[in-house]
Amino acid sequence: MPDTNSPSLDRRSLLKLGLGATMVLGTAGLTASLSGCSSSAPASHLAVLRDSDLPLLRALYPAVIGPHPTFAEADAITLATAQLDRSLQAASPFVQDEVLNLLGMLSLPLTRGPLTGIWGNLAEASPKQLETFLLRWRDSRFELLRKGHKAITQLLQLSWYATPQSWAAVGYPGPPQV
Amino acid sequence: MPVPDIFLQGLARGWQVIDARELDSDRELEADVIIIGTGAGGGTSAEILANAGLRVLLVEEGSLKTSSDFKNDEAKAYAELYQEASARATADATIGILQGRTVGGTTTVNWTSSFRTPDPTLAHWASEHGVKGLDSASMAPWFARMEERLGVAPWAVPPNANNDVIRQGCEQLGYHWKVIPRNVRGCWNLGYCGTGCPTNAKQSMLVTTLPAALDKGAVLVHSARAERLSFTGDRVSAVHCRAMDAHLSRPAGQRLTLRAPHIVLAGGGINNPGLLLRSKAPDPHQRVGKRTFLHPVNLTLAQYERDIHGYYGAPQSIYSDHFQWDQGTSGPMGYKLEVPPMQPSITATLMGGFGMQSLQRMAALPQSNILLALLRDGFHEQSQGGSVSLRDNGDPVLDYPLNDYLWDGVRRAYLSMGEIQFAAGAKAVMPSHAHGRLSTSWADFRQQIGELSYRAHDVRLASAHVMGGCAMGEDPQQAVVDSKGRHHQLENLSILDGSLFPTSIGANPQLSIYGLVARLASQLAEELT
Repeated sequence: MPDTNSPSLDRRSLLKLGLGATMVLGTAGLTASLSGCSSSAPASHLAVLRDSDLPLLRALYPAVIGPHPTFAEADAITLATAQLDRSLQAASPFVQDEVLNLLGMLSLPLTRGPLTGIWGNLAEASPKQLETFLLRWRDSRFELLRKGHKAITQLLQLSWYATPQSWAAVGYPGPPQV
Repeated sequence: MPVPDIFLQGLARGWQVIDARELDSDRELEADVIIIGTGAGGGTSAEILANAGLRVLLVEEGSLKTSSDFKNDEAKAYAELYQEASARATADATIGILQGRTVGGTTTVNWTSSFRTPDPTLAHWASEHGVKGLDSASMAPWFARMEERLGVAPWAVPPNANNDVIRQGCEQLGYHWKVIPRNVRGCWNLGYCGTGCPTNAKQSMLVTTLPAALDKGAVLVHSARAERLSFTGDRVSAVHCRAMDAHLSRPAGQRLTLRAPHIVLAGGGINNPGLLLRSKAPDPHQRVGKRTFLHPVNLTLAQYERDIHGYYGAPQSIYSDHFQWDQGTSGPMGYKLEVPPMQPSITATLMGGFGMQSLQRMAALPQSNILLALLRDGFHEQSQGGSVSLRDNGDPVLDYPLNDYLWDGVRRAYLSMGEIQFAAGAKAVMPSHAHGRLSTSWADFRQQIGELSYRAHDVRLASAHVMGGCAMGEDPQQAVVDSKGRHHQLENLSILDGSLFPTSIGANPQLSIYGLVARLASQLAEELT
């Protein structure tokens, strides 16, 4: 049961880092940009999300959304990512920073391994590894990891189901035309 | 264009509307009254003050979107029409906050439910918060006036199946239920009020009071944030604004300096305190931003054998107040039961879960219904609400602590909603919670609710009603403004919107704002003319 396993694992992970969860999450984006591991500039065709975020989102969308038939379409994740980016573009600087910090932390090995349990590149993690990571954060005793779980799942669900490609499979006929 | 765009027609007639993003130099503007915010409070004030012959200047941080822009498109609406692109949340992100930011404010995107302020709420304000002269009897004509102005009437069309769950369940159980009054005229019953009304049926400020004020010569500056007030003695001497960037993320453009003998704040909870805090306005008793309330909302999802199609049809048409006052005004937390509209983007985030679990829940969307409880905060000593402070960049943020008093309300509301859903024929019911699972019997659901974790992020909480933070009351040690909305320390500053409320309302707040502001703005108009 993830409910009973994850708290101690999270604690051990955080102790290993020698940092409180707040500091880890709060400085992840900064560390990521200082270390040169991820560029802070937006990807060429996007306004907020960076090149380094895109492989992560490509892995996370199916993990969060589930085996939705639209994933068979080549540009499905690109369209959802573009939708997410448009929302972030209009969001406050604080929200933009929070999301970029969260994604930065998931791409930076120093923070990613201990906090997610995925020691290799998250973009190449197996579905089982990603599920374990999402459960670990959902069930963590650390408020910041539970917040991270909620943020990842809600951002991806909001953007995925905002795109018309997602609707037919869940029986939504689409909005009325006026 | 099958639906006439009232606003574009007005612009063609010569309304004075300035998109601050298009200015190529700094500007200075003068008027008799500056109103900051164009929602329920700002719109109502603007019409009344303009009708009194005053030159009104309105400032709105959001942009101008009108019926021709509204395409029943969740994605565009959440990005363009809401504060922080609908990602606003409390400081620790435990409560997501849906609050409008566009011309017309939240009234442009709300779900049209229109209730008078409940009598017990007004009585509580008088007895506990030093509010003078706003009793039910003297407020009644003001509510009636605004109901007439905005077409408020109980929804005469049969409720959609999503709302009908409340009627069916409450009938079965012998609980109170009633039809919701809505501010619409000629409503098409589409169900997309939350993305902006494409038919101008919703009688929001965008199509009622703001056009009336503009017809009287009011000037509207939009896409500009009021960043700071400056003071001379005990008077506000100027309002310093700055144009927002193209996507309204941050102020980045030309600067506008606005001057008028009188200033009205109507930016709503969170933003009004934010402006006062940025301005270092006098606040000798540290009251600005305190006691900000949210009607925190928790929800339950139910699945049925029958079609619900909760994304279509008037989003809110039936409510239950069975659990609202049953334990007194200031006892354990009461709550009002309603439903949200069920468009897929917003609904996906409410269903919880991820992976296969999330997909299975979404695949049942057409047969699903969600109930929500508006938890009535601010009536008990254990419910002090939240407190607004400033981020490093000056943006306001609400810290809203959660405690056992609130969790007790959440737990009881889960049970009430699940009971109603099962009584209405649900085959499975689930709390909106990180660990929520579909219970197929009332007994199992009760057990699940009893065993849930009640802690931050596990319980999925939202709010669409930001209230308070600039409380009214006669005692300057407790309140920011007096019972007329006049600032206790600043002679020419009024606050006229939902941030006045000393507690939450116990009902969707728009008509409370309209009625109260109509009265206070009429008093102000007499004093200024």
